[in-house]
Amino acid sequence: MTDPFRTFLLIFRHEGRVLFADRSLWLVTAILAGLIFYALYNGFNATTIRERTITYLRDLQQETQRYTIAQLRRIMEGKELPDPFANPADPAAIGSGMGRHFAVMPVLPLAPLAFGQSDIQPDYYQITYRSKANFMYDTEIENPWNLLTGHFDLCFVIVYVLPLLVFSLSYNLLSAEREHGTLKMLLSQPVDLSTIVAGKLAVRALPVLLCATLLPAMVLLVLRPQLFDIKNLFLLVLFIAEIIAYGLFWFVLALLVNAWGRSSGTNALVLTTSWVFLVLVLPVILNVIVSTIEPVPSRTELAARTRVIAIHTLNRYNDLLSADYRYTTQPEILLPKDGKIDVPIRRKGLFLLQRDQDQELQELLKQFETQLAAQQALVDRFSFLSPAIVVNECLTMLAGSGTRRHLHFRELVDRFHREWKAYFEPRILRGVAIKEADFHSMPAFTWQEQSFSAVVIDALVRLLQILIPTLLMVWLTKRWLFNYRVI
Amino acid sequence: MIRRIAWREFIEFIRDGRLPLVGGLFAVLLVVLLAVGWLQESNLNSERSAAQGMDYNDWLNQKNRHPHDAAHQGMHVFKPIPRLFLIDPGIDPFVGSTIWLRSHRQSEVKFRPAQDLTGLQRFGTLSAAWMLQILGPLFVIVLGFGALSGEREQGTLRQTLSLGVAPQQILWGKALALAGSLALLLLPALLLALTGAGSAIEQDRLDLLIRLILLGVGYALYLGIAIFVTLAVSAVAPSSRISLVLLIGLWIASVIVAPRIAADLSKAWHPNPTGVEFNTRLDNDLEHRYRKVWKEKLGTEKRWGPELPLNRWGEALKVDDHAGYEVTDEHFARLWDAFALQQQSQEWIGLAVPVLAIRGFSMGMAGTDFFHHREFAQAAERQRRLIQDTMSKDLIEHADPLGNQHFSYKAGSSLWASVPPFEYSPPKVGFALRHNKTSLFVLLAGLLTWIGIAHLAMPRSA
Amino acid sequence: MDRSTDNPILETINLCKRFGETQALHQVNLHVKSGEIYCLLGANGAGKTTLVNVFLGFLEPTSGTAYVNGRDVTGDGLACKREIAYIPEQVMLYGVLSGIENLEYFAELATGERQDRSRLLAHLEEVGLDRQAAVRRVSTYSKGMRQKVGIAIALAKRACALLLDEPTSGLDPKAASEFSQLLREARDRGVAILTTTHDLFHAKQTSSRIGIMNQGRLVTELDSQELGNADLEALYLQHMKA
Repeated sequence: MTDPFRTFLLIFRHEGRVLFADRSLWLVTAILAGLIFYALYNGFNATTIRERTITYLRDLQQETQRYTIAQLRRIMEGKELPDPFANPADPAAIGSGMGRHFAVMPVLPLAPLAFGQSDIQPDYYQITYRSKANFMYDTEIENPWNLLTGHFDLCFVIVYVLPLLVFSLSYNLLSAEREHGTLKMLLSQPVDLSTIVAGKLAVRALPVLLCATLLPAMVLLVLRPQLFDIKNLFLLVLFIAEIIAYGLFWFVLALLVNAWGRSSGTNALVLTTSWVFLVLVLPVILNVIVSTIEPVPSRTELAARTRVIAIHTLNRYNDLLSADYRYTTQPEILLPKDGKIDVPIRRKGLFLLQRDQDQELQELLKQFETQLAAQQALVDRFSFLSPAIVVNECLTMLAGSGTRRHLHFRELVDRFHREWKAYFEPRILRGVAIKEADFHSMPAFTWQEQSFSAVVIDALVRLLQILIPTLLMVWLTKRWLFNYRVI
Repeated sequence: MIRRIAWREFIEFIRDGRLPLVGGLFAVLLVVLLAVGWLQESNLNSERSAAQGMDYNDWLNQKNRHPHDAAHQGMHVFKPIPRLFLIDPGIDPFVGSTIWLRSHRQSEVKFRPAQDLTGLQRFGTLSAAWMLQILGPLFVIVLGFGALSGEREQGTLRQTLSLGVAPQQILWGKALALAGSLALLLLPALLLALTGAGSAIEQDRLDLLIRLILLGVGYALYLGIAIFVTLAVSAVAPSSRISLVLLIGLWIASVIVAPRIAADLSKAWHPNPTGVEFNTRLDNDLEHRYRKVWKEKLGTEKRWGPELPLNRWGEALKVDDHAGYEVTDEHFARLWDAFALQQQSQEWIGLAVPVLAIRGFSMGMAGTDFFHHREFAQAAERQRRLIQDTMSKDLIEHADPLGNQHFSYKAGSSLWASVPPFEYSPPKVGFALRHNKTSLFVLLAGLLTWIGIAHLAMPRSA
Repeated sequence: MDRSTDNPILETINLCKRFGETQALHQVNLHVKSGEIYCLLGANGAGKTTLVNVFLGFLEPTSGTAYVNGRDVTGDGLACKREIAYIPEQVMLYGVLSGIENLEYFAELATGERQDRSRLLAHLEEVGLDRQAAVRRVSTYSKGMRQKVGIAIALAKRACALLLDEPTSGLDPKAASEFSQLLREARDRGVAILTTTHDLFHAKQTSSRIGIMNQGRLVTELDSQELGNADLEALYLQHMKA
């Protein structure tokens, strides 16, 4: 009796020998490895720059604080007169940027694998008591042409290029044998067509998927020791699982098209068309649909509202703003006395103005976040239509550069901004001087990572979104193979 | 003879259903895109011009207040959407649309549309340009991959050559058939675009028409390259299947993969700073310069103290501003030049990867490239400086003598009216052409090269 | 011939196959015994290849049954294939592998176990491929050499039936006669052989019996020993007219 597993192994060995001899498997795997290395190099470069920026900001914040404390000490000891516009004892000055307080979103260990939105959504903000409209729209500097092009990261290699390499190996998996005539020879032996197909698939999928998963995993483990942590390792495993599922999807699609039984040329055309549709066209169309169904409020309107509010508030505090300003000629008034300080009336006015602007804009600004979240929810709901979207979303999420995490960050910033304002508001309005001890007790931004279980569940759902269509295709392939016409 | 060959080929495209099916889908999608884009664009534009008008109105009608506070309110400036945005949105989704012109510092153009969108945006922006640049060549490949290899397999190529038809005639006949099919599909879209151009306001009409024609020329060159690449590969490939696989591989390598590598290369050749680096350097230079000019012009480095009382605030602002203009100009020019150089080096790579050249040329002609954006940003900055200078001058004249009462000075509507409204007319087509000489040349050179290669690839004899 | 048994190895009963409007096989009843070479003659489209394909399970009969060694091919296809070997008009092999590597592969596929290399080499030698030829890549082989590898596969598989579809068309006369010799040797070992051909002379030379097919029907069966060359041609043309 011929044992199917034995036959499978035999076909696996034989096919490997054939592919080895005509060099196509080597070539494709080498191209894939080359692209992956290049993508990783890019990813690590970008991550290093981001991390360097974060370190710089942290150092800057600490250094500024040390300097400010030293200055405050000198002023309190009477060695120096306070500067009317940069007085460390003045809560209006410290709260408005003199303290150089940054809110920073940390870079995750998996970050080099996918740029995601990190080049367009900021991962740090300088927090002041001023209206969020003042700082929430800062962006990283990048050539817009290059933003339009996109980055060459691992996510790109997987989402766009991997399917094509898969096709190049398997678009004529069966059709070539049939056109060449060897399929008749094969099937005149006591073997099952599905066993043959399984063996042929395995020999192609194994090196390609190993290369696509092990290479990045190994490079990552060597270069990012912070990965050695049970949670991060689990995320890496999910990342790998996602790549494998995605690769299998395209392999099975190639099988399905082969089982359909047309010529190699037709197979190549059909596969390319399906790739164009699923990877190029569908995401672009979905993007249009999503932004039409859940439109973001008009930015023009935001600008108009901001201006109207600015006018109202300027009028409201016109008197405070035009108050007498004696501090340049008599800076000694600015010295704290018994914990109290004479906060310049004009600065108080400016604070109130910003406070009111922020309050009145809050709702409108919130709408932008809400709508972006609503868009993301729509994308999540319909991403199953294209595995490219599913994988893109999932890989960027695991790498910590997806829309969700940026929204989460903005929410934390929003909360912190309120805390910051609440800390300074009574001090500015009541004229409470900033003491040295205050620097250690004033609110500091602390990052809270997204819920780990939410991320894991999200990733698992997306894994299913790829595996279910894959299994459906497996079932259909089996049916079609059963009726496969050799002649 | 060439027309005869082309006609036979064309009939074949129609009969085997490739042209009606794939092409029809392509043409319908293109027309729908144009129509939808048209609607969106006119909505956005009218909203922006209305907002611009209201903004100036509010500026004029603001209450009496200190000029520096008026400068704080500032003005909002909205970038008008170019008429041809609907054909090629270019970089516009990735640059801001609004500038808040305020005192103290050059503002960034804010509100990048891409920031308000999900990660899907990164897959591309659905537009006519996207379709022509990305899917156009694929369409040519689907029509033409078997043009010569297929005839060879059938033996009809030998037949034709044995009749004494020159290989060149066959090549041009096939090229004509492909070009004709494309023209047939693009015609409705072109007509729609021309109608749109005709409906534009009088003074823009000619400019728009020339831009459209140039766009047509650019895409003709680009798709021409695709046609001759397809024919060349089809001529040398041993079979239609290999021809198809080779062409699809080429398409993917040049349209999908190469642009990203080119972006990396251009960044390596002409690096640009990160946001933090840029701002730190700008801040340092500004501070350095401020100290210097304060010392020179005001006799002190210390900002505000007994040596420099508040009654010289206006004068000091003016000193600050003018020192700042130079430094900022220098920094922004360096940054923007780096961007421009990055783009230019990528357009040169367009010799090997034509999509890079047509992309630059197309957005240039559509008025959505970085050069047009830079023009706008500079015009906005000029307006900001105008406001700033007007306010500082008024402060020197009226507020400075008031000493500590400086901030109690309130200017009135006559001062506001002395600032003219922001009027921006986008650069004309001559500007666009000047900045896109390279890409036009690259496209032309690419086409000629590939015509030559296709000629060499043709079989000499039966 | 004396070694043949009465049980047919290949047998069809009322075999019919339709392709849409076309009746490719119509009520074909045929049996080939062990040690017999049965030669099917007929014009293009007469149904010869269809018949072979039904035995191989490449086509399912519309009605009727085909048996290999008493097993129904539609019911137990894999078991049937263990018994038969197939040599198409062009034996196609993996060009990048050598003759012996191809043989190893097909032999192991057929039997489910690894074959001893020296035994396989002996089979190749038996069909006239020496060791030097056996280790060359198949892409350098002539058609005749590939057909010989096809026979070697049948030998290695110890098939009790051989199905041949125009095996000698396009072979030069020397190669064709070598091939016929190999068939006769197989017959003498007791293999049942069903072959299709256009070549009347070849059919007369090698076969034990001849069947003539026309438009899906097996119109007549002849004993080739009792026939002269001229008779065969006359008979053939006569049946073609019908």
